[in-house]
Amino acid sequence: MNKGKGRLALIAAMLAIVLVVGACGNNGGNESADGAEETAELIWYTIGTPQKDVTAVMDQVSAYTKEKINATVTMKMIDWGDYQQKMQVNVASGEPMDIIFTSAGGFDYVQNVRKGAFLQIDELLTEYGQGIVDTIDPGFLEGSKVDGHNYGIPANKELPQQEVWRFNQNLLDKYDLDIGKVRSLESLEPLMATIKANEPNVTVFGMDKNHVPYVPYDYLITNLPMAVKLDTDDYKIVNILETDEMKQALATMRKYYQAGYISPEAATVGSTSDLTLSGNWFVDRAQTQPLADNQWSATYGYPVVSTPASDAIITNTSVQGSIMAITANSEYPEKAMEFLNLLNTDPVLRNMVDSGIEGTHYEKIDDNRMRNLPEAKNYDMPSYSLGNNMLLNLNENDPDNKWDVFKEFNAEGVASPILGFNFDSANVSTQMAAIQNVKEQYWSALMTGTVDPDEYLPTALEAFKQAGMDEVITEAQAQLDEWVAEAK
Amino acid sequence: MNKNRKSRNFMQLSPGWNAFSNATAALFSLLCVFPFLFVVLISFTDEKTLATNGYRLIPEKWSVGAYSYVFETGDMLLKSYGVTILITVVGTLLSLFMISLYSYAISRKSFKYRRFFSLFAVFTMLFNGGMIPTYIIVTQVLGLKDSLWALIWPLAMNAFYIMILRTFYMTSVPDAIVESGKIDGAGEFKIFYRLVLPLSLPGLATIGLFSTLGYWNDWFNALLYIDDPNKVPLQSMLMRIENSMSFIQQNSANSSISLEVMQSLPQDTARMAMVVLATLPIIFAYPFFQRYFVSGLTIGSVKE
Amino acid sequence: MAGFLKNVMRNRVMLLMVLPGAAWFFFFSYMPLVGTIAAFKEYRFSRDGFWQSLINSENVGWRNFEFLFSTDAAYIITRNTLLYNIAFILIGLVFAVAMAITLSEIVNKRLAKVYQTGMFLPYFLSWVIVGYFVFSFLSMDKGLLNSILSQFGVSSIQWYNEPQYWPYILILVSLWKMVGYNSVVYLAAIMGIDRSLYEAAMIDGASKWQQIRNITIPLLKPIMIIMTLLAVGKIFYADFGLFYSVPRDSGTLYSVTNVIDTYVYRGLKTTGEIGMSTAAGLYQSVVGFVLVMISNYVVRRIDKDSALF
Repeated sequence: MNKGKGRLALIAAMLAIVLVVGACGNNGGNESADGAEETAELIWYTIGTPQKDVTAVMDQVSAYTKEKINATVTMKMIDWGDYQQKMQVNVASGEPMDIIFTSAGGFDYVQNVRKGAFLQIDELLTEYGQGIVDTIDPGFLEGSKVDGHNYGIPANKELPQQEVWRFNQNLLDKYDLDIGKVRSLESLEPLMATIKANEPNVTVFGMDKNHVPYVPYDYLITNLPMAVKLDTDDYKIVNILETDEMKQALATMRKYYQAGYISPEAATVGSTSDLTLSGNWFVDRAQTQPLADNQWSATYGYPVVSTPASDAIITNTSVQGSIMAITANSEYPEKAMEFLNLLNTDPVLRNMVDSGIEGTHYEKIDDNRMRNLPEAKNYDMPSYSLGNNMLLNLNENDPDNKWDVFKEFNAEGVASPILGFNFDSANVSTQMAAIQNVKEQYWSALMTGTVDPDEYLPTALEAFKQAGMDEVITEAQAQLDEWVAEAK
Repeated sequence: MNKNRKSRNFMQLSPGWNAFSNATAALFSLLCVFPFLFVVLISFTDEKTLATNGYRLIPEKWSVGAYSYVFETGDMLLKSYGVTILITVVGTLLSLFMISLYSYAISRKSFKYRRFFSLFAVFTMLFNGGMIPTYIIVTQVLGLKDSLWALIWPLAMNAFYIMILRTFYMTSVPDAIVESGKIDGAGEFKIFYRLVLPLSLPGLATIGLFSTLGYWNDWFNALLYIDDPNKVPLQSMLMRIENSMSFIQQNSANSSISLEVMQSLPQDTARMAMVVLATLPIIFAYPFFQRYFVSGLTIGSVKE
Repeated sequence: MAGFLKNVMRNRVMLLMVLPGAAWFFFFSYMPLVGTIAAFKEYRFSRDGFWQSLINSENVGWRNFEFLFSTDAAYIITRNTLLYNIAFILIGLVFAVAMAITLSEIVNKRLAKVYQTGMFLPYFLSWVIVGYFVFSFLSMDKGLLNSILSQFGVSSIQWYNEPQYWPYILILVSLWKMVGYNSVVYLAAIMGIDRSLYEAAMIDGASKWQQIRNITIPLLKPIMIIMTLLAVGKIFYADFGLFYSVPRDSGTLYSVTNVIDTYVYRGLKTTGEIGMSTAAGLYQSVVGFVLVMISNYVVRRIDKDSALF
């Protein structure tokens, strides 16, 4: 008996030691000794290939923001292909963060709002974010509300979403090809055939594993198969894989794959940057914005032209295409909001974040026009994810009215029938997880034409069904019907 | 036993049997080495011929372009080498330190709590919390996210090595030696490093080499814990360039590389060249350490 | 209590020696063990750290396990994990013993050493590197196998999209990596066999094959049994690298490449559902524990010294 007691006491003693050690480690002081307001150290996660000069630029940014709002900023970049997964894990495990990039496609905004990842910012917005409310297109703030509340600041940029075919112009010119008649997936065929016949080493149709053929539907959740037709009048939710449009698109993709237009590795490759870098591609699909061709050509170093593949539609995905949210576990929510307010209203800060250090990464040509310096490739940031685009300096070859063109584009966009409807999957969360798993298994291979849809589509549909697709659709349909009734 | 081995009469083996054995063993041995040789050949292939012909045993056109490219943008490779070497050295020393002390203590009969601490270690072999709780403890409770320590600590201890080394101490360090040390008035620590450690060097060498190999080849911890491109170890870097070489280009300090050079870069062959460069140290080192692994295996599985 | 303190004082040096290691076990093994409570929670992160979140998260009982067993996920990953491991153990055993016997029959011991060194190489390479090796053979447009096939007029095979080949590929790769290393144990045992047994057999006119069947194999049997049983104890744990890195995480192959370990990892990555992924991990731990205990019990009955504990 005595022995047992001794062992217990030993365990207790060890626990005590470890806890003391642990506690010491955790007390990394945020407390500042003098009574002055401590400087907030904001941690900002954003999407994009990590850039070499991020730390240097953020030092400059911090110096500026420290003076303006007494806050410093650390930016952590996570590569395109990894963002969703890494952030999923970071949020779920409670990694310290203040501001994170979220979007309908990247790290799903609505779903993560439901999971409680972001802070509800209605009050913060009124108190510290008045500049934002005044500046950005009200369509954005309205469209990013979930259950009537705001959880993030959308970037002020193009509002509708339009898909385009991008072409490597060098190859177009070489074979004197005309893209005037290109629009549908099928219409690409003659051009691709020419390139395939003459340029055996060129990847004709570039894509990575996230590619999904365009069909005129709006998805309830990006990258999951529940969707509503754009010209719907009965608001019926369908499994996109069961629609005629998608079936035809998949058959075409399969045909292209077998013709050798698509890389055999497309379904496992996470990025096409090797292709765009080497220029060894002919066509791919991308989302556009006004004057995008200039932007692409400038980045890649060779001419790129594009032609529409779809109408410009304002969807939940496009409205929620780039949002900066304050995390639920942020230590400095007020400071984070002050920072976001500054970022969306102050051209100095916004351009510093976007283009880096003047004189190192870029130089000013005149008041609001800049030119990249060679060092710019060490700080090449995606503009769309970093706040109000309309504060940005113009590039050398941009027209003066660039942002007016944007505003026009935004005004012309057509709203999707389910714009503003946000599915709440709480009641079917088990099914959603299962569907997510099924999607991981079949999606990429089907969408890239890597496997034969005649054989795999029925299997995939059966797997989705087994995972509980019908229950999810029923639940979503009920919510959507209610939403439609309320809206009318 | 030794006497018997010596008396073995080789002449009694039939030449045909010997030839067959030789052929089988040689073939399998070649199969084991072949993939590496193949990758070496690919890395010396000209990128353009590779794009048309695919991976061939005898390339149509040879080239060292891949290597010159890798060396031009070589600082990334060097950085990863640095990370790997650092974590391997620090990790191996750390784990040797902790494992040898722990297993020595539980091998001593005079230690009252030896049974408790043996069980404390063995239980971890039987039941573990799994990947996700471990991930959360490492990142949230210990705060090791994006720290090199996250590559070092999780591999530092291993109950299996402790059991091996404990057996080693019990069988090859006679009690008499420890007692003689006590009579001379030496403290336990002094006895340990003056008398016991020298005797247990073969055992430590085996554990140390297993540990070194474990650190050198680890990529899973980096997959979980490391985002910072400057802290990516070799194996993990190879994994990141599987899909796209942009990781290398992005993180190369050599900013004098023009867009043109980047566009003509030998992507496929450079990838294979990286694989070859990352494997070379192992290829050169392992034949020398082979016997320690053999002895480790024999201690581990057939405890005497 | 006083007695306990006295004991601690008396053993303080030894306690000091185990302290670093014990602390490690505490942090890296025992704290995660407590963390498995998350399997019974709908885990939601709150601002006060992991433990507080764990306490605050809603209890959901067995719901996280329901998810696992309501689809065929649990069946597939369990089946894959078990069948692959059984195949690795059995086929691996046959090959390792065969290779050990082959090596022991080589007259020129120096050559035998060279062969052995070659066979040892794969053991030293990481799965990432092995993944590249496999890719150089199986790449769909550039791989060696497809170009050989095309020379024989066979149309190329989409290796990374056709599940039916992967059971064989994975078993081959696993054998390639482990046989050389595992044969060492058996080789050592063969070297320990009394040569006079063979001499006596030869005098009786036994052929080589008969000698192997009647002397070598029976004498290797105990160690074969022990090695196998020890492996059976780990049968519920799969080699993550083999199943994740070698098939390049290709979705179409999941039906034959998804094992419990990769499932847990992907669960964390794609859904971020801590509770459900932890549940899958806990399922593995519990069944794994039972299997280790059983196999260890059996080993103990056969040969007490070989048992783990």
